[in-house]
Amino acid sequence: MKDLPQTVFVVDDDDAVRDSLRLLLKSAEITCQPFASAQDFLSAYDAAQPGCLVLDVRMPGMSGLEMQQELNLRGATLPVIFITGHGDIPMAVEAMQLGAFDFLQKPFRDQELLDRVHRALARDMDNRARLRHTDRIRERLATLSPREREVLDLVTQGKANKMVAGDLGVSQRTVEIHRAHVMQKMEAGSLAELVRMMMAVAPRQ
Amino acid sequence: MGGVSTDVLALLEATLDAVVIMDDRGRISAFNRSAEEMFGYRAADALGRNVNMLMTSADRGAHDDHLRRYLGGGEPHILGKGRDVRVRHRDGSEFSVFLSVGRIPNTEPPQFVGYLHDTSLRRKALATLERERQLNRLYLDLAQVMLVATDRAGTIQLVNQRAVRVLKLGDGDIMGRNWIDSCVAPDDRPVARNAFRALLMNSSDEPLTCDYHVRASDGEDRFITWRGVALRDTDEVATGVLLSGEDVTDQRRAESEAHRALERMNSVSRLATMGEMAAGISHELNQPLAAIANYAQACARLLRLPAPDMPEISGALEQVSGQALRAGEIIRRIRSLVRNEDVRRELQDINELIRDVHALLASDARVHDGRLELDLTPALPRVTVDGVQIQQVLMNLVHNAFEAQAGELGRVERGREVRNGAGFEVRIATRPTEGGDVEVSVSDLGPGLAGDAEQRIFEPFFTTKPTGTGLGLAISRSIIKAHDARLGYRANQPRGACFFFVLPAHLETTQ
Repeated sequence: MKDLPQTVFVVDDDDAVRDSLRLLLKSAEITCQPFASAQDFLSAYDAAQPGCLVLDVRMPGMSGLEMQQELNLRGATLPVIFITGHGDIPMAVEAMQLGAFDFLQKPFRDQELLDRVHRALARDMDNRARLRHTDRIRERLATLSPREREVLDLVTQGKANKMVAGDLGVSQRTVEIHRAHVMQKMEAGSLAELVRMMMAVAPRQ
Repeated sequence: MGGVSTDVLALLEATLDAVVIMDDRGRISAFNRSAEEMFGYRAADALGRNVNMLMTSADRGAHDDHLRRYLGGGEPHILGKGRDVRVRHRDGSEFSVFLSVGRIPNTEPPQFVGYLHDTSLRRKALATLERERQLNRLYLDLAQVMLVATDRAGTIQLVNQRAVRVLKLGDGDIMGRNWIDSCVAPDDRPVARNAFRALLMNSSDEPLTCDYHVRASDGEDRFITWRGVALRDTDEVATGVLLSGEDVTDQRRAESEAHRALERMNSVSRLATMGEMAAGISHELNQPLAAIANYAQACARLLRLPAPDMPEISGALEQVSGQALRAGEIIRRIRSLVRNEDVRRELQDINELIRDVHALLASDARVHDGRLELDLTPALPRVTVDGVQIQQVLMNLVHNAFEAQAGELGRVERGREVRNGAGFEVRIATRPTEGGDVEVSVSDLGPGLAGDAEQRIFEPFFTTKPTGTGLGLAISRSIIKAHDARLGYRANQPRGACFFFVLPAHLETTQ
């Protein structure tokens, strides 16, 4: 996963704008992949590819907003930077409410775009790292025996071994052995770390 | 009954007229059958009674006096002359008769004979005739068309009320005059004469139609659609014509006004949508501008790299010039939209231009729940302008003024009471300047302009409105500038904004 390079996907129907964006990103040594329409991008994109999107709000066919919604439905987490013309501000506001990362009004300074692109790429990296982290925790959780899982749930609720033994109707010694296995399988150095892991994978409210 | 022979009495019985004979004291001495029928008395009841029982109360008292005066040697009142009198039936009803009275020769003391002819039948016939005439008149007058009948020579024989009203004439002063010479507009008389001749010669019963103007007594011309037929005597000889005419002046006027309004709408709607147009244009212009900025900035970055990719940079620079030309092309298109090629400068009355566009502006006012006031100084010098363009500028300024007030209200409070109480007001005023030119101003009672906005308000794409494009005022200013004038701003008193421009007066040759 870490081997895939970060790519900025530029989607704009205007040839000149699209090509100039490609060149601008290239001059900043950022890998860029241009698309002339939302449909082109959606059919080519693989969710495993890290990066971010630079997306024109106003396009014939599927608009930038519609494409953003489509990505949300697919569960893609790619950050989206909208670029808008004069007078498209209300649309940009709507895009932000739908979870867009940022927006830029055309024409813009190169640094404004590049700063946003860098921030978006960093966000994508964070997102993916977090996802990898939770994936790993889930993998480790899957290796626990049912009894070990019961012990984990009780100790992360803050219960002492003695109380856990009472709850489960086993000896305190048995609890201590299960607990040691849990810490080992979960690769947790302390109870605090174990609690953080469980919070990371807990379903959000 | 002395003195009246039986022969005479037999004769009296046979006459259809009522006959009453009286003596020198007014007592009835003979009363024939017709008299019985007329008055409802039997002869036996009437004989010997005073004749004044047959009279109305008005005549009754005077009769004895007349009789005494006559017998005393005075002038006879009625003898030998006939006249209409009112008489009284036995049942009390009164009616009219034609009465003639004579003294019977060789009677002493004198006796008098009265013949009473019942005139009510004739009257009834006359009344029926009159009623019919009135009814016919009513039919004619009820008609919503003008009706005119003339003889062969064109002399007017009949006009209905509608025709009198259209021609604005008194009832009498048209009869007997020549239709064409006195009622048809001079320019249309040849047409009217031809139509008249054609009617007289037309052998079919189908009406002929033609259109011409009539001139009313106050000089106003009305446009009439006519249908005419010839009037014929029993030998089928044309004796005159009957014309029915419909006044279509207002209809035609409304049609042409609707047409003009439509044309005006078409030309002005170019401006009404100026905002939308400008939004589209600004988006279009943004594309090449964004591309140019990106390419140029990319080139600068690429050149800073240790080994610049020259072919890439060269290609980008070509793109820069290409996109600049594309932007220029868009701007040329805007210019041709704003300043359409077939504009014509004409001498115009600025007040008329404003009044012409008032209806459109007023609808803008209604949309904003506001009021548009005109404060136009009469008799201003005329100006040489493209009317549509000036109207476009006015529409833009008025629209901005209403928006400014609506926007301010939106910030203060979105309350219906406030809205009604505030009563947005925009005023268009025309004034002569000291130099004799014409100043046109559009003022409002909105928030006016803050110091910064006042500096920048005419810059393209500068806007204080959330959805503004910032092009309306810029375009307005370029239109005014093209008229050798300046679009200016000053604070309005007591508050609000005032935009104004001064148009050079046309120097009228006064000789």
